[in-house]
Amino acid sequence: MLQPIVVERILQAALETGGDFAEIFVEDRTDRDLGMIGGVLERALSGRDYGIGIRILKGVFSVYAYTSDLSEDNLLRTARKAAGALDGSKLDTVINFDRLQVENRHPVLQQPSAAQHSRKLDIMRTAHEALKQGHPLIEQTSVGLLSWQQKVLIANSEGLWAEDTRTYTRLRLSAVAVDGSNRQSGMRAPGALAGMEFVEGLDIAAEAAEAARIAATMVKAGYAPSGKLPVVIENGFGGVLFHEACGHGLEATAVGVNASVFAGKLGEQIASPLVTAIDDGTIPNAWGSLNIDDEGMKTQRNVLIENGILKGYLIDRVGSRRMNMAPTGSGRRQSYRFAPTSRMNNTFISEGDSTREQMIANTEYGIYARSLGGGSVNTATSDFNFAINEAYMIRNGKIAEPIKGATLIGKGIDTLQKIDMVGGNLDHGQGMCGSVSGSLPVNCGQPTLRVSEMTVGGRKGE
Amino acid sequence: MKITQFQERLFEQGREYGYTDMEIYYSASRSVAVTVRAGEVDSYRVAETSGLSFRGLIRGRMGYASTEQLETDSISFLLEEAAGNAAVLDTDDDSDLFGGSDQYPQLQTYTAGLLDTPPDKLIAAAKQLEQLVLDADERITMVRQSSASVREHEVLIANTRGLHCHQQDSVGSMSVYVLAGTESETVSGGWFDYDLSNFEAIDPQQIAERAAYEVVSKLGASSMPSGMVPVILREDAASSLLAAHASIFSAEQVEKGFSSLVGKLGETIAGSNITLVDDPLMERVPGTTTFDAEGVAASRNVLIEQGKLNTFLHNRKTAAKAGTTTTGNAARGGYKGKLGVSHHNLYIEPGTRSLKQLIADIDYGVLITELHGLHAGTNPTSGNFSLSCIGYLIENGAIARPVNQITVSGNFYELLNDVVELGNDARFTGSCTSPSLRVRELSISGS
Repeated sequence: MLQPIVVERILQAALETGGDFAEIFVEDRTDRDLGMIGGVLERALSGRDYGIGIRILKGVFSVYAYTSDLSEDNLLRTARKAAGALDGSKLDTVINFDRLQVENRHPVLQQPSAAQHSRKLDIMRTAHEALKQGHPLIEQTSVGLLSWQQKVLIANSEGLWAEDTRTYTRLRLSAVAVDGSNRQSGMRAPGALAGMEFVEGLDIAAEAAEAARIAATMVKAGYAPSGKLPVVIENGFGGVLFHEACGHGLEATAVGVNASVFAGKLGEQIASPLVTAIDDGTIPNAWGSLNIDDEGMKTQRNVLIENGILKGYLIDRVGSRRMNMAPTGSGRRQSYRFAPTSRMNNTFISEGDSTREQMIANTEYGIYARSLGGGSVNTATSDFNFAINEAYMIRNGKIAEPIKGATLIGKGIDTLQKIDMVGGNLDHGQGMCGSVSGSLPVNCGQPTLRVSEMTVGGRKGE
Repeated sequence: MKITQFQERLFEQGREYGYTDMEIYYSASRSVAVTVRAGEVDSYRVAETSGLSFRGLIRGRMGYASTEQLETDSISFLLEEAAGNAAVLDTDDDSDLFGGSDQYPQLQTYTAGLLDTPPDKLIAAAKQLEQLVLDADERITMVRQSSASVREHEVLIANTRGLHCHQQDSVGSMSVYVLAGTESETVSGGWFDYDLSNFEAIDPQQIAERAAYEVVSKLGASSMPSGMVPVILREDAASSLLAAHASIFSAEQVEKGFSSLVGKLGETIAGSNITLVDDPLMERVPGTTTFDAEGVAASRNVLIEQGKLNTFLHNRKTAAKAGTTTTGNAARGGYKGKLGVSHHNLYIEPGTRSLKQLIADIDYGVLITELHGLHAGTNPTSGNFSLSCIGYLIENGAIARPVNQITVSGNFYELLNDVVELGNDARFTGSCTSPSLRVRELSISGS
């Protein structure tokens, strides 16, 4: 990567027109992606991303420039071009880099490399066989194994010099069940901030069986009803409920410009007293963890909601300036092509003391959402939606027939108040979260919980 | 290193490495974007990136690798990684590179000076747009973001079979995202417009008026009763639904069993009022092109003609498998992806009457203007969708009030047969376009 003397020249050039802060983010990333369809390896890709983002701040005004040409001449030219957006005069700035000592909380035992191809293929074939054997209705399988290693250098005019290497590995399993003219897929996609040892440690047969079971169950499912119903949401990726209903609305990107329904509500009861919500970037080897965020700050455990009371926001550097509050180690970006903003890491609702059995038994007529898909939210209104991948009717306190094709919608500010039972079985699921600073690995987690009323987007009247 | 020099060295060292045929797909873009908030410049972005994908035939198999760094040490990375990737592939049906079409169409896609639009002009325009929106309606509380940008992009595909395809395109655009409301209610919305050759041709006044209407007209929204209801999908909502399902027309998806159109070629799959076209050569539409990602000359293809499925979209590989010829729809998801199949400029041919006239025919129904969570709530394989949406309740032939907190559910394949009438309001913004569609009925879930 770049030498300190070069970085200092770039930062000084960036500050020539009166910026009060300058930063570089250098990224060298190698991706490897293998894809197998129906047991045939059809995709084998390798790629190297390499570039630099230069950011200048003056107050809350931000200038961002990026380039994939890392010659010193070009970098100085790019820095000056960015500085051209300001018209002040240079402040006297002396930069003495102080290397940030980063303790690696996320050890990687086996760095992914091209040399592991044959081992990866063995794992993928095993997964394909397990998917195929998972149920007689399975007609197609898809297995993907992707890994990437991202080396970053973050340095700024305050003297920060931070380097880190992030290694990600993820296995994607998908089975398609066919029943007459109906086709449904079931999917599992475990991932971690770790190397090949993560995949080696997975119970692949169990993951594949689960994907096949979901596909085979849902292909026989009838349509979900329409209307407002109580919903029991299973643990793990069910946490996408909080991620959409509230998490995005606590990001400084929205709060800092007063464009979130949760702005100005610190200390207020915004959720049911049963809800305590955390965003924790430090969980060892978790998919959404980081040693340091993409502004070079160590990640931390942030309590967002405690017993229903709003305790904190997710704040990046610019958000911190806007809100006059300390940053929370939440500045993230997909790559050097994005200026960092406040984002989630591993977000979850803490455990309560109900059980899944109690929740089902206490629901006369409702939905049991066992496996959830992605969603989205409008932070200004907190209108959110997310998809159900596997769900069942609850009738007379018992899980009944499977139902498909339902999206759940609500308003975050209402739905959080309607969480009326929280279980003791916290788990996390992996997802990719898309927002202004790109697509990022995040964990969504929760114990099983019940929402007393949500709008279920089915297509059957009952 | 310059791209031509990099290509020369790469191919030279590749031959020594054992590659018999090689190709590069190079793409580069440059852009300037400003956003304004509360009368001040909020952010200013300058971007200049490029990337290159290499594919090469080694020991009879095609290997792929890509890089963003055009330096000497990237050459060995590309050659080694692509060879390693080729060795593990189970397929060898992707083994010949294309030497070029006899003729390529002409298309004006690039205006040299657009990127040089002075930043001050972009900033002034974004500030003006923000002020115009704020002045448009007193219920508007905040302009979250007012943006102006210019961008240019180039693609070069060259190989050892003599192919050399190069194209540049440019676009300028402006957009605004607005909040409106009262103490107890907040709504949001926005609008955008673009021009491919002249930034000044974009009219901030029009964008401001439309954005103000889009946001303010949502005030006072509430849910509506659940039920099967006649629905009009406004052109932008219909276009987004088409985009979420466009992959079902790809021969690759069909062959792999991910499209329910398998085995339906030549059959009637849609109402006789549906004609679906992919036209990469349409003038003044973003993303149009004269060649595809394999270097095959691009051409207009009619996928559905008055309800009948005429053809799927093909690249050379899927065409060979299906015993037909390529439709010129090879695609890459940027320079990183594997060669696949995609549309260029897919659209449903519009009807003759206005949206207002379509609304006038409905006694009770919904006009849907936005569909949310399309990435999660659709399933192209089965066609089932269940989506959060917003719009307006239609009563007695006119818009009665705004609606929110509802979902719309249905099946895309069935919907193609259930379109009662198409509007004349298709707005070509690139990739996927539909006019407003009046659908017989869809399931609405609300209160």
